[in-house]
Amino acid sequence: MSRKVAFIAALFGALALAGPAQARVEVQWWHAMSGVLGDRLNELVEKFNASQDKYTVVAVAKGNYDEVTNGVIAAYRAKRPPEMVQIAERGYMTMLLSGAIVPVQDLVEQKGYKIDFSDFIKPVASFWSYKGRMSAMPFNSSTPIFWYNKDHFQKAGFDKPAETWQELEKQLYAIKSKGISECGTVLPGDFYWSLLENYSAINNQPYGTLANGFDGLGTEFVYNKTKVVSQVARLKKWLDDGVMQIAGQGFSPEQLFTSGRCSTFVNSTASHGNIERNATISWSATFLPHESDINPPLNSTIGGGAIWVMKGHTPERYEAVAAFLDFVAQPDTQVWWHGATGYVPATNRAYALARERGYYKDHPTREIAVLQLSRGTPNENSRGFRFGNFVQTMLAQRQEVEAVFAGQKQPQQAMDDAVKRGNEILRQFEKLNAGKTPETERP
Amino acid sequence: MTLRLSIPWRDARAPVLLRRHGSGGSKALPAAAAGSSRRSGKARRREEAGLKRANFGDGPGLPTLLLLPQLLILLFFFFIPSLRALMQSVLLSDPFGNNVQFVWFDNFKALLASSDYRQSIAVTFWFTVAQNVLTLGSALVLAFATDRIVRGRSAYRTIILLPYAIAPAIAGILWAFLFNPAVGPLAQVLHSFGIAWDPNLNPTDALILVTLAASWKHICYDYIFLVVGLLAVPVSLMEAAAVDGAGPIRRFVSIALPMLGPTIFFLTVMNFIYGFFETFAIIDAVTKGGPAGATNILVYKVFVDGFVNLDLGSSAAQSVLLMSFALICTLLQFRYFDRKVNYGV
Repeated sequence: MSRKVAFIAALFGALALAGPAQARVEVQWWHAMSGVLGDRLNELVEKFNASQDKYTVVAVAKGNYDEVTNGVIAAYRAKRPPEMVQIAERGYMTMLLSGAIVPVQDLVEQKGYKIDFSDFIKPVASFWSYKGRMSAMPFNSSTPIFWYNKDHFQKAGFDKPAETWQELEKQLYAIKSKGISECGTVLPGDFYWSLLENYSAINNQPYGTLANGFDGLGTEFVYNKTKVVSQVARLKKWLDDGVMQIAGQGFSPEQLFTSGRCSTFVNSTASHGNIERNATISWSATFLPHESDINPPLNSTIGGGAIWVMKGHTPERYEAVAAFLDFVAQPDTQVWWHGATGYVPATNRAYALARERGYYKDHPTREIAVLQLSRGTPNENSRGFRFGNFVQTMLAQRQEVEAVFAGQKQPQQAMDDAVKRGNEILRQFEKLNAGKTPETERP
Repeated sequence: MTLRLSIPWRDARAPVLLRRHGSGGSKALPAAAAGSSRRSGKARRREEAGLKRANFGDGPGLPTLLLLPQLLILLFFFFIPSLRALMQSVLLSDPFGNNVQFVWFDNFKALLASSDYRQSIAVTFWFTVAQNVLTLGSALVLAFATDRIVRGRSAYRTIILLPYAIAPAIAGILWAFLFNPAVGPLAQVLHSFGIAWDPNLNPTDALILVTLAASWKHICYDYIFLVVGLLAVPVSLMEAAAVDGAGPIRRFVSIALPMLGPTIFFLTVMNFIYGFFETFAIIDAVTKGGPAGATNILVYKVFVDGFVNLDLGSSAAQSVLLMSFALICTLLQFRYFDRKVNYGV
């Protein structure tokens, strides 16, 4: 018995001696990347851990974005939040006004790192910053682009997809009527993001008042008075005519495209990894179409996630966090991540570096997202969206659009109802955050 | 939250009901009596005087001790969460809990005023009723059929019980895939009959699909109870009826079915509770509450509003309401149907 005690004591003694020599500060990063993207993220973390010997970042996959958000909320309430968490773009206002986060720009500057925040690509910077200062570190920024099956278009006698919705519609109907493919396009799972929100930005349509919410929490949705209504009507028409299909539950829309069943697909540039791996077709991609009477089209907006830093940790852990964020913002890291995943490089310098290295000569479709995001000067309608409870308003809207698809409502009626429901949800958020009302902020 | 709450409640109720019929009760009582009779002569005397008191020996010590595990489970998984749900339902709060406002019954008012919520109630009603009828009906037919089979009876039973072992989410994905209009083989069969089946687009199709999936998953549960119930039907009665010239169906309908009354009543209550609370995973996998909210049953809405929309106040208010619905529903069933059920053999 006593020998055992002595042995254990010796063991602990040895551990205590060995400890300080290799003490790396360990910080956690909860994320939502799975599949190919998850593997790439782990590689990125390994690169960081190998690049220095003071800090260890532990990447923890916590499921999809919703699950990560719930995980971090539960952990925060239990007073055990991770140091860093990846949250999707729709959660921006919730995180910003949560009182549970440390703005990244404050943290990074306080720890003495010099990240040039003015160098971030505009729609990226404006989405993630508040009053001109970055609140979260842009990490996986994407934007929807237009994927197409090259063979189908060639067979129908077209070089490539048309630039306007009107011309594109003719092409898709021609492909269908010539029997080249069963469906012209497939409805993306996140169509509200690509075909309604980004559609509004590109076509210079307001989505909400007060500069899409940038000027205050009193914002109200207005997309029932814009081209969004006719866009919904267009999708309904395509669906009725069999030009567009819905993949539905149990099956991913992407597979309908990569298997060659549907000729086109509007989806995030981040699906490069998956499409390159799974596609059995000869594919390419181009810019999202715009309305024929809107010329030139504006920039699209971003989706994806950013890294938020949680409150309540020790200074040395924040050292580690700042070091990691600095690593993420390096042009080299950005270019690598861009190439490995298809997400856009977040800074102009990284984009220039990728060009310089001739990356786009071999991967022309990877440049589309960057070009589409940075074309023209973003205005009130294309800078991004700043709505509280944005997930909830989106789900209400999606439900109304589905009512149109099911033939239960006319597009105008459905969008009126969606706006009405959305505005009630926005008022709830305004009420909750009264007193924290952001003043006018212009980048 | 409600999802978790319902389970101990349901499990707590099941044995009580079970004891009232079948052989479970008669076995349990002597066993307990034997245990206590070893303790003292006084207890044995009491046991002879009246079964109930004698089972528990002297004083409240032993019963309390025996009840303690169950009480603790109820405390941590039912009472504390229920209390927190009640509290949360009168609050407007951000998900992180840093900003909390007391809003009285605003969450309830908003719910009752929302067409979305009313639709959800209607969907839940049709879903649970259809699921109940379908599940019980199929289970009865299967139980009747296997009761008549002699060869390979246990093989049939095992096969019928298999779906119960499949996780609801997996079952849901299976059904969603089989009936997917683009790739599902069964959807192709329907299409070849000229039925424009599309649960992704058509609300009615979607509701039919989730009802089928939920029933399929639960038939085995009802089935096992009914099989045991049929075994308890006295053979002498059946033989007498057979001698009088009643066919198998007549015997089933006139003799077995009335004697299954308590079991069927119990299963009806359980099916409602299943439909209310435990079909969440199937909905999530098959339709995600869509299209256009057509399969957005109450418990799924509680989940979406709480865990996706992070609207905790509304979600808590909904779980309080859902709890009351389930309670009222069960009480009504007991009040009106329990009397009509014949427990005697």
